[in-house]
Amino acid sequence: MSPGLLPPVRSSSELTAEAAFKDWVHRIVKEAAELQAFAAGQIDAVMDPATRTAILLPEAQAALQDSSGLALSALDSLPGEVCVLDAAGMVVMTNRAWRAFVDTRAGVGLGVREGTNFFAACRDAAAPERVHAEAVAAGLREVLAGGRKPFRCNYVCHSAGGRCTFTLTIAGIAPDGAVHAVVTRENICERRRARAARGSRRAQASRIAAVARAGTPNRLLAALPAKEYQRLLPGLEPVKLTYGEVLYEPGEQMRYVYFPSDCVVSLLTVVEGHRALEVGLIGREGVLGARLALGNTASSVRALVQGTGRAVRMKSARFLQEFRRSPALQRALFRFTDALMLQITQTAACNRFHMVEARLARWLLMTRERLPSSEFYLTQEFLADMLGVRRAGVTAAASALQRRKLIRYRRGTITILNQQGLEFAACSCYRHVQLMGPKAAA
Amino acid sequence: MARKRTKASAAGASVTTVVVMRLYIAGTAPNSVKAVANLQAICGRYLKDGYKLEIVDVCEDPRRALADGVLVTPSLAKVAPKPAAKVIGNLSDTRSVLAALGLPAGQIE
Repeated sequence: MSPGLLPPVRSSSELTAEAAFKDWVHRIVKEAAELQAFAAGQIDAVMDPATRTAILLPEAQAALQDSSGLALSALDSLPGEVCVLDAAGMVVMTNRAWRAFVDTRAGVGLGVREGTNFFAACRDAAAPERVHAEAVAAGLREVLAGGRKPFRCNYVCHSAGGRCTFTLTIAGIAPDGAVHAVVTRENICERRRARAARGSRRAQASRIAAVARAGTPNRLLAALPAKEYQRLLPGLEPVKLTYGEVLYEPGEQMRYVYFPSDCVVSLLTVVEGHRALEVGLIGREGVLGARLALGNTASSVRALVQGTGRAVRMKSARFLQEFRRSPALQRALFRFTDALMLQITQTAACNRFHMVEARLARWLLMTRERLPSSEFYLTQEFLADMLGVRRAGVTAAASALQRRKLIRYRRGTITILNQQGLEFAACSCYRHVQLMGPKAAA
Repeated sequence: MARKRTKASAAGASVTTVVVMRLYIAGTAPNSVKAVANLQAICGRYLKDGYKLEIVDVCEDPRRALADGVLVTPSLAKVAPKPAAKVIGNLSDTRSVLAALGLPAGQIE
């Protein structure tokens, strides 16, 4: 602690020898009880009638210095910039943050060092700062005159690093009766920057919200309670998925989970020596990567985008975190996983027992359900993969449906002309999945 | 009722008597801090609300200490009721503090 803040006592160094000090005490103190307490080490100070001051005993002085050191360390540990002024405006103490500011911006923004005068710094402030500096000097005068309320103002300074605004607060304290002022400085440029960053994050979130909610939103997300959905928003990132893009390969770590909005993703099982076979189809009703919620981080299937469109994605770690804390998300995922399992088991049976034409009709209906338009682009080769048949088989089946005027197939673009007719043409699996699916359960 | 009151006064300090004390300390020096804590514990236990305590910091107000005839700190002075009494040291000896305050030592639990 600086000398200005010490109690008015004589230091023990003035009374050099211990014996001389004891003699001095015995000359002043005569009473037996007092001498006894002194001998027992229970005395902190002895009054000196000559100087009319209290003389601290060396032990007490050492203890006080220790506590002063503690106070200084505590002050240094504060992130804000603090300096203490005496009644004349002299800087008697500063903390580490204040000194760091003065070192980087010497002579700017009332950056004063210990031993200099704050009023002088206000008077000598650079021209652009002068108006603020004068206000600060007036406020400081008021506080040192015994003003009860702390003085507070914004201060703008211009340095090599650019324009900087901070808030100065000056509060009065009176240790041992002598008035002092504590000046704290808070950089509000940084606070504003942080607020602006928060604002841009909020803007991003609302952009995502717009993407997710507008037009053809992901139904799983849209079904979440608004509060839970809002919590997911910062972690969601809009992406465009393009036809033919592979999102996961079997055995590969799933880095993201995808919530399709107006695109369709096929789940393909890859069997060695054979073409990949579609076992499931996911669109806006669900999510890709639900396996994470079951404790598996690697994909079991190939996820292939078969309809270009928009989606939002979330990092797997974040998704797991949200999954653990949101019961609504858990319910939605379990419901979707159940529906997907139903779809996969029915597809397995369908691939084994039903005719290509009926399977194609089912597949087209399922795709139509997941897309906003009844017209979509598909090559015959792609369709052959989806249905696990040769290309010739797909051509024959598509031609048969076209002849019945249920679809139009031209240069890879399929248009559904008669939805009801196609439902009749489809195998029973389509109706079964619809009957047993989540809608039926609801 | 009158007999009871006589008994209470015979047993020592009346419960309605307010003890006025002044404790002289030297800032936050170790014995001074102990003295404040010890005295507050004693007052809370034996005097409840029946006391008034003034704490004088001799580092802030040395003239007051000299005027009151106090030479060493910490030091506790009983001002009222009479007779006046004084205890020197960090007040860790509860018996001597109670004796100085006029409370019977038999009250110590």
